[in-house]
Amino acid sequence: MGKGEFLGEFEQVVLLAVASLDGNGYGLGIRREIERRTGRSVTVGSVYATLARLEEKGLASSREGEPSPRRGGRARRHFRIRPAGIRALRASRGMLDSMWEGIDFGPSPESAEGHS
Amino acid sequence: MTPPPPRFFQLLAHLSAAPVDREPILGDLQEEFEERCDRDPADARRWYRRQVLGSLGPNLRRRARLVRNRHRGHTQGDGMMGSFWQNVRYAARAARHDIAFTSVVILTLGLGIGANSTIFSAVYGLVLHPFPFPEPDRIVGVGTAFPQLGQSLRFIEHMSPAEWEDIRDQSRTLEDVVAWDMGNRQIDTEGPPQNVFTGFWWGDALRTLGMDAHLGRGFTDEEVERGDAVALLSYRAWRDRFGADSTMVGSSLLINGNPHTLVGILPEGVLLYGMDLWTVLPARPSMWPRNRRQFQVLARIRDGVTQEEVNAELEGMARQTEIAHGGEFEEYRGWSQVAMTWNAVNSQLFRTGLFIVMGAVGFVLLLVCANTANLLLARAQKRRREMAVRTAMGAGRGRLVSQLLTESVLLSTLGGVLGVGLAILGARGVRDLLARLSLPVAGTVEVNTPVLVVTAAVAVAAGIVFGLVPAFQASATELGSTLQSEGRASTATASRQRLQRSLVALEVALAFVLLAGGAYLVNSFVRMSRVDPGFEVDNLLTMRLTLPREKYAGEAVPAFFQELTDRLRAVPGIRSAAAGTQFPTVAFSFRELWFDGREASADETLPVALATVVTPGYFETLGMRLLSGRTFETSDQAGTPRVAVLNEAAARRYLPGEDPVGRRLKIGGPDADAPWWEIVGVVASTRNRGLDENPFPEVYAVHDQVGGTQNQLFLLLRTDADPRSLLPAVRSVVTEMDADQPVYAIRTVNEAFAGAASTRRATTLLLTIFGVFALILAAVGIYSVVSFTVNERTQEIGVRIALGAEGTQVRRLVVRQALVPVLVGAVVGAGLAVPLGMGLRGLLFGIGVADPVTLASAAAVLVGAAVMASWIPARRASRMDPVEALRME
Repeated sequence: MGKGEFLGEFEQVVLLAVASLDGNGYGLGIRREIERRTGRSVTVGSVYATLARLEEKGLASSREGEPSPRRGGRARRHFRIRPAGIRALRASRGMLDSMWEGIDFGPSPESAEGHS
Repeated sequence: MTPPPPRFFQLLAHLSAAPVDREPILGDLQEEFEERCDRDPADARRWYRRQVLGSLGPNLRRRARLVRNRHRGHTQGDGMMGSFWQNVRYAARAARHDIAFTSVVILTLGLGIGANSTIFSAVYGLVLHPFPFPEPDRIVGVGTAFPQLGQSLRFIEHMSPAEWEDIRDQSRTLEDVVAWDMGNRQIDTEGPPQNVFTGFWWGDALRTLGMDAHLGRGFTDEEVERGDAVALLSYRAWRDRFGADSTMVGSSLLINGNPHTLVGILPEGVLLYGMDLWTVLPARPSMWPRNRRQFQVLARIRDGVTQEEVNAELEGMARQTEIAHGGEFEEYRGWSQVAMTWNAVNSQLFRTGLFIVMGAVGFVLLLVCANTANLLLARAQKRRREMAVRTAMGAGRGRLVSQLLTESVLLSTLGGVLGVGLAILGARGVRDLLARLSLPVAGTVEVNTPVLVVTAAVAVAAGIVFGLVPAFQASATELGSTLQSEGRASTATASRQRLQRSLVALEVALAFVLLAGGAYLVNSFVRMSRVDPGFEVDNLLTMRLTLPREKYAGEAVPAFFQELTDRLRAVPGIRSAAAGTQFPTVAFSFRELWFDGREASADETLPVALATVVTPGYFETLGMRLLSGRTFETSDQAGTPRVAVLNEAAARRYLPGEDPVGRRLKIGGPDADAPWWEIVGVVASTRNRGLDENPFPEVYAVHDQVGGTQNQLFLLLRTDADPRSLLPAVRSVVTEMDADQPVYAIRTVNEAFAGAASTRRATTLLLTIFGVFALILAAVGIYSVVSFTVNERTQEIGVRIALGAEGTQVRRLVVRQALVPVLVGAVVGAGLAVPLGMGLRGLLFGIGVADPVTLASAAAVLVGAAVMASWIPARRASRMDPVEALRME
């Protein structure tokens, strides 16, 4: 199995965010989507670094958008997931699902502690 | 209107982002920033900063990957720059990893480098570039040495007008030879009068220096020839005291009440012996006797002539003078005159002190390097798996060494940055100190380009020095053993432990040298402050009066001083008053003595003594003790038998075992025509040539019996309270007697003493600080090595405790082992301290460089610190739970 077919955790998160915005995602929207869903704060640098890696692997593609005054006249960069990206996400999920199969830890430790 | 994002962080984001990502990243940031600004601008700025800082790492990683991708396909391995940046990246990661370690290293390096930069900035400004002369190598002072008078080469108050004229008229190697006398003058202004240190010139020194006046012009030959009332002001006096008023030039200036024309302002940095005012000396050189040496000489070497040629010519002239005037003036036997660049002349005073301090900071930096190497070694041990893995993955030894070196140079560069900051503060401190010392140089101490270059070089060199040892050590780690086990007791471990112990020994040795140096100086300082000067220094005011020969001659001179001291004694607050040609520690007039009843022998060198002419009351005013006979009385007058007083040093050395009272002597040698003086008393010796010199033989004669030749005397006033407060009263008494008579060189004896001791005090203080810093560093080094060893030996110590070893036994074991390298270092340090201490000899007082008490106390302090530093880890070891310890792998 080649290196390019593995997805890291953050790569999955970013790629899923791109997919959920369905082609309308650009850097800022993607970052917000991640923050909204995970509740974790994410830096713009790490998002772009990961997006660049996903592009290199052929899992996502990008195009330049229109410049806007709100952005100091700078253009947006929009991202869209590619079929290879969808396959990779499915593979990752399938791998995790098969690993989870038959495992039951009971209620999560945080909630257990919270009630004791 | 929304405010712009924080500019610095925007720049940071711009610089860190890969060029291809710059536009969308900055755009995203700005877009969200503006949205957030609408809600809460302060929070928006915080958010922006956090985003940029958090993006630094990913941005840089992304850039590195771009670089790598670009290289892929071109070269097999990493490119030079690629691998360099990769090294830097690894290094930064390693530094972040261990923040405590990194801060200790950067802090100590910063202190070490900062101290070096500060001292170098002082050396640069004070020794290398003390004056702004365009051709500093051609500007020389001409000094004289008179072995017959016990006077070694000096460049201040050392030459007579006749000697200067000889050089000016005869020299073919020197041009623009000028001379000057110095004293205090008062400039009358609309506000309070300004006291300024003043030079009285024969010649235009600006031409000698090859410089133009800042404003106006220098003295013309005609003005000098006629002795016109013209003046120049120093740049600093003009700026600080007269508000840089350019309309002053050409106007009249009242100097001691006499109008002078201000013809110009001196260029900035032209400050000779701190003289703020230059005037033309109206008196003719022929008015001074050939042996009245109170002038300084400055000259310019002619084009194409070397300093050696100048000195060969001056030597030839000195020999001619010896032939021509040696009969009349004994001191010309073996005398010499020497030209030295003005830069060298003026840095002489503190050169030794500065170079000693420079050596000391060099030692401190070496110590910092040794300490850092030690800490790095300990840390490298933690990283040996990382190194082994890298080696296994094919990283060559060169690659590992270069990575580790990059890490250490990165650390030292950060230390260098901190060092520059500290040096800027340090240079400011030095400037403040200098402002109070009034050194005879005008260079500025600042962190300028040369200082920065030297600092950068020092920082990088330090990084390589302390990085090299652990780098090679770590890269030599045996691959197999490290990966298999934790590498216990492998040969690499043994050699590392040896290295660590050697580094501790080195640190201790360096710290010892610094501590001993500080201890020598502190010891000297204490001894010197305990020296009995032989007179009472408190509440003693001195000033100088020169009676013009046109006005006062013969009997009138002593009569004036007699009346003046009588009148001053009547001033409330003045307990007693007297005058003399010199007083401790101002000593410049030496004469040969000839005792009655001595056999004349041709090659015998005659005894030499300070010859001081005084008014009655001199000894009482100074508070000198009478040992036998009597002192001078007002009945000792021109007509009565000539009487002299010896000090104890003269009596002991020249009339050993005899009672001097009643003996006769001639002052100036066995000249048949010279009068005999009868010794009437012996007084206790004073430290007449400085506190750090033994009392010199001295003979005193009474002013009335010497006559009018001694027209330049110091007034000595013993006061009840603050001596300075009586100055107006003293001035008015002088003015009552002679309205035109200036007094100058006004000082309290305490001020004079403090000034003379300032170099010593500064050096002592600095060396003590460095010694303490060195001690702390050595203790840190010992502590880190001992706690490291304790960690390594956890299992062994656990076994010992399990087998019943007591806590004290364990502590003793650890401390004892720690002390071995300390003792080795102390012995080496003691061996080094003695020869290196030779450099301090000029500043030592009352002790030698092999002083056993000093060396022993330095050793005791070090060993004590070592015991304390190893005690903490030792205690930890002794409290170890053996079960835990044994389980640890």
